[in-house]
Amino acid sequence: MLRAQLRRQAQVGTKGTAEARMQGLVVFSVAGQRLAARTDEIGGVMPWPGATVVPSDTPFVASLVRQEKHCLPVFDLAAKFSRTMHENEPLCLIVKHVDGPLAICIDSQVPSLHMVARSAMHYRVGNDPDIAGTCVAGDEELPIINLTTLGVSSIRPAR
Amino acid sequence: MGLRGHKTAAASGGQTVRCLVALIGPTHVAFPAHWVRGIITPAEAGSGGRVTWANSSYERTDLAGRLTIGAQMVTAETRIILYGNELRSRSFMVNGVLGLIDVERAQIQPLPSQFRGGERDRLLGLFSGTAYVALIANPFWVLELPPRKNALDAFVFQASERRAGEFDSRLRLSSATHEDAVPTPAGHET
Repeated sequence: MLRAQLRRQAQVGTKGTAEARMQGLVVFSVAGQRLAARTDEIGGVMPWPGATVVPSDTPFVASLVRQEKHCLPVFDLAAKFSRTMHENEPLCLIVKHVDGPLAICIDSQVPSLHMVARSAMHYRVGNDPDIAGTCVAGDEELPIINLTTLGVSSIRPAR
Repeated sequence: MGLRGHKTAAASGGQTVRCLVALIGPTHVAFPAHWVRGIITPAEAGSGGRVTWANSSYERTDLAGRLTIGAQMVTAETRIILYGNELRSRSFMVNGVLGLIDVERAQIQPLPSQFRGGERDRLLGLFSGTAYVALIANPFWVLELPPRKNALDAFVFQASERRAGEFDSRLRLSSATHEDAVPTPAGHET
């Protein structure tokens, strides 16, 4: 009995270790720019509900979208990357931001989930605090974007 | 306001803020109504640096410009809002007036904290109608008065203090305004 329990625990431990070596990433695109983000930073995806413009001085935060009875601020990720959205039916990515839920307008292509080996993720400090590094998801090397702290310290467009 | 454009979004007994909802460019802006002194047409306002109405004088201000909303075209729906308290008064142009609405205090959402710039001085919060989201202008900022903490609280009243349909005597709206007010479409109730 004890041996069986130990065997089961060993199996669970091996599985847990394997899972610990993997990172769940969501890959999506904004005005054609492909990006990856950690799954735990994302609250959901819904059709783009249309935005209300807010006269704002905050870089890249100048509109609101409705979600149920509340309104969420919108971070204009396309503008940050100096791109323009041309989508007819974009999607709304809800982000678990440190300051509260945040919406991002993304391309109509539904985001895809990838399990990526942590060894395929390369964190590094660059010019843009919103970019954590790069990763290889599928056949692509993609920038990893820090969604939870998006805009907290970035005041200039990414190069 | 003839109450044609007057909507009640408050449960009886709740704390409410009465707002005049207007359009500035594409943006719905709500002005706490206690300081609305009148709504007149551009023709009634005349030209010059000040608007004189009912023996009171109102300095013109480019509110759209101050809000960074951009230039406005004058149309048949354009109105001049006369806004003031005992200390200061201003007049400013809007692209249209939707009407008065009593908004339950609990329905007013503060500006999300991701907005970090000067908009936090200009706007006190927002509320959602069925068909629009209205941004609540800070009356102290509109009148270029010193900022005040919890500014919205100065405009909150207890809904039970006023009977249904009772007109707020603090609003001195001209008779022309009553007729000219654009009634809120049925679907615009909050």
